[in-house]
Amino acid sequence: MFNIKLAGENTIIIYFGDHAAPKLAEQVAFYTQQLLDALGNIIIDVVPSYTSLMISYRLSLIDHHDFCDQVEQLLSNSTFEPSDVNSNLIEIPVYYGLDVGLDLDSLLNDKGLKLEEFIAIHSSKTYLVYAIGFSPAFAFLGKVDDRISATRLARPRIKIPAGSIGIADNQTAVYPITSSGGWNIVGRTPVDLSLKEPENIKRFSVGDRVQFMPISQEKYCSLGGTL
Amino acid sequence: MSFKVIKSGFFSLIEDYGRFGFARYGLSQSGVADEHAYCWANHLLDNHFNDAVLEITFGSCELKALDVMSIAVTGADLDFRVNDLPQTLWKVINVQAGDTLTWSRAKSGIRSYLAVKGGFQSDPLFNSKSVNIRENIGSKLSDGDLLSCQATTKNRAPRVVPSEFIPDYEQNLTLRVLPSYQFDLFNEQQKTHFFNQCYSVSSASDRTGCRLEGQTMAGVQARMISEGICYGSVEITTEGLPIILLKDSPTMGGYPKIATAFSLDLAKLAQRQAGDTVKFELMDIESAQQQRHEFNTFFSINIR
Repeated sequence: MFNIKLAGENTIIIYFGDHAAPKLAEQVAFYTQQLLDALGNIIIDVVPSYTSLMISYRLSLIDHHDFCDQVEQLLSNSTFEPSDVNSNLIEIPVYYGLDVGLDLDSLLNDKGLKLEEFIAIHSSKTYLVYAIGFSPAFAFLGKVDDRISATRLARPRIKIPAGSIGIADNQTAVYPITSSGGWNIVGRTPVDLSLKEPENIKRFSVGDRVQFMPISQEKYCSLGGTL
Repeated sequence: MSFKVIKSGFFSLIEDYGRFGFARYGLSQSGVADEHAYCWANHLLDNHFNDAVLEITFGSCELKALDVMSIAVTGADLDFRVNDLPQTLWKVINVQAGDTLTWSRAKSGIRSYLAVKGGFQSDPLFNSKSVNIRENIGSKLSDGDLLSCQATTKNRAPRVVPSEFIPDYEQNLTLRVLPSYQFDLFNEQQKTHFFNQCYSVSSASDRTGCRLEGQTMAGVQARMISEGICYGSVEITTEGLPIILLKDSPTMGGYPKIATAFSLDLAKLAQRQAGDTVKFELMDIESAQQQRHEFNTFFSINIR
């Protein structure tokens, strides 16, 4: 089931459902690839997200009505195959320490958890990339276990160090660059995800899976992490 | 061939037509704010439609030409002068080594475009030379920078833009919009409120978005699941005021959108400043595509 809407003068948005769920995210990733494979020459950009896919196309090659027709035909004739989703597993080492996890202490208190318990819960799961946005290469990952989900800070931080791992509601993410934000910071990765390394732009794609690998402070520092 | 930056000005950026193909990784479209002025500047010099220019906002900018060069300056009237002599805009000018170019203050419009033959030669990042401050891609002009460009072989004829294509930035602006995204979720009363009101441009506007002030719309749906947002999308915030998303906007957002503004009208909006008024009017997709297609064909734009 899908619903195509006008988004802009050379852009449409396709809705595949109305609430975020892992199966829907996989479906969005699947159809994004199908459309790129079939119509790659007339597509300029795609923005897959939780329940939708935005596509802009070359006006010099096709108009709104014909583009909608082609998309509709393609979507109607292809069946979602979960096994066909091109999904990478990306491992991110994380140091969960009170010195870099700026909100870890208060979060452990709120949740009545010991640090080891928290680490086990956050790192035992593989997370799905639901969307990429907010800033370049910022991947929204879900879903976080209810035992460690946490609402955003009442007052967002002005400066969150690059590499910080945050939790907001049932989502978790890595801040690729130093930025402001209201997520609860629980650890930090020594891996440089910034665009100083241009290849980082393609590190995450919607539909990929991410797992956090706990590391010690010593290991964190030896991998180039700063405290 | 180059210019030396004597005074960088309030906000001067190297921009081209934009950054495409990376939206799925979260990169903005970026690129010039006023496509109309930009395209004419490149066209006057027989440049490629994607050649990089200098976008000078509000002025206070001074450059020294280090060689003989052909240039064109279009867009806002920022009191552009060469060696303190006022110059005609929307026209090819040949400058000599040692000439001083100045843009001092906004007389009409706010963004001026300096194009040079062959475009400015900075290194592209992710297929574009466009600077995006929000994304930390490139940086604004600084005093002492060198702006390099191709060698000019000969002086070029002083071509001018026909007067009917030179906009009047003092006119009241009506933005034509397409009924897009959540248009059907707004009720009749909300749509009437939106289309009958004269909004004014807020001083909190920038290349990311144009915020509008006016009477707030009642009963706007709270934030929704984030989705892709495109150039010109008109978000209605929870407090009931519109934000028009522009070239440096993020790729995703969670406010409901009532409409999407037509790109050639957004070019005019790029020249309005705080306090200027804006109205909205509905347009259909067929005429938007036809007008945009004509513009693209004239300027040989094939990316859109």
